[in-house]
Amino acid sequence: MLGEFEYLLITAAARLGEEAYGAAIREEIEATTGRKCSIGALYTTVDRLEAKDLLKTWMGEATPQRGGRAKRMVRVTLKGAQAAKDFYQAVTRVSRGVSWETL
Amino acid sequence: MKLVDLVSKLLDRDEREVVLGDLEESGESGRQALAAVLGLVVRREAALWKNWRPWLAAFGIALPSSFLLMGFSLSVSRAYRQFLDPGPGFALLLCNVLLLAGWSWTGGFVVGSVSRRTVWVSAALCFAPCLFCLARFRVESLSRFCLLLFLLPAVWGVYRGLQIAHVKLSAAIVLALGVTVLTIPAWSGSGPWIPNWALSWPAWYLVATARKSGC
Repeated sequence: MLGEFEYLLITAAARLGEEAYGAAIREEIEATTGRKCSIGALYTTVDRLEAKDLLKTWMGEATPQRGGRAKRMVRVTLKGAQAAKDFYQAVTRVSRGVSWETL
Repeated sequence: MKLVDLVSKLLDRDEREVVLGDLEESGESGRQALAAVLGLVVRREAALWKNWRPWLAAFGIALPSSFLLMGFSLSVSRAYRQFLDPGPGFALLLCNVLLLAGWSWTGGFVVGSVSRRTVWVSAALCFAPCLFCLARFRVESLSRFCLLLFLLPAVWGVYRGLQIAHVKLSAAIVLALGVTVLTIPAWSGSGPWIPNWALSWPAWYLVATARKSGC
């Protein structure tokens, strides 16, 4: 099963679709969770997920706003989408009947 | 940003490009950018040590071999002073010189080929005992640099190990047999047995890996 940060990363990449790359994923995670996402954590997790065939990455285009440097584009594979779905369903199941509002 | 560029050189070329681009795009300041790059470098280095290979190269070969080879370098230097004249003593000296070169080269080669990306750690673990012993060397009749006779073939071995992962099987067998045969007169004397054989195993490791790779 995926770890929490792996799930966040896959979900952010899926949400960004064709525009998913390192800096954009990092921004998405920070904006949605309100937590700092380090470059080290991001890229080591991307590598781990790619090794498990849950993500595919490739070098993208260079843009002027990046100082003419290339992006590392990210796409969620079918296996990755399935793993994220399994994680989500597990969290949903385990949360059933629990109301955090009252605690 | 110059320091960030410098530290980022520890990353692979593609990764450096991507990370520096991300930092530029997100507009992170010098200190934040440096922390981000350093964090990634540390994680990458730590990941390398999850494998057994760097441990073998650093603590299985480089560190113990540097002590043993320094001792053997000293023994060869002493033998050189005693048996300079041609004769049986000269033949034994020649054997020991060849053995020192063989042990050093094969050890260095295995360190270089087994763990290329952590070779600097292995080098540091080899040089640290050398500096320690150099500082405490007190033999008046010999130069302290006699301790370091093994370094030249060892460094050459590391260099070759970084270039090519495996040697040809025939060359590996000749090397291993040569080292083993040369070891016999070395331990038939008063020398300790186990350390001598401990220095010989990298030569047989080369045979095993050469055969495995089908060379």
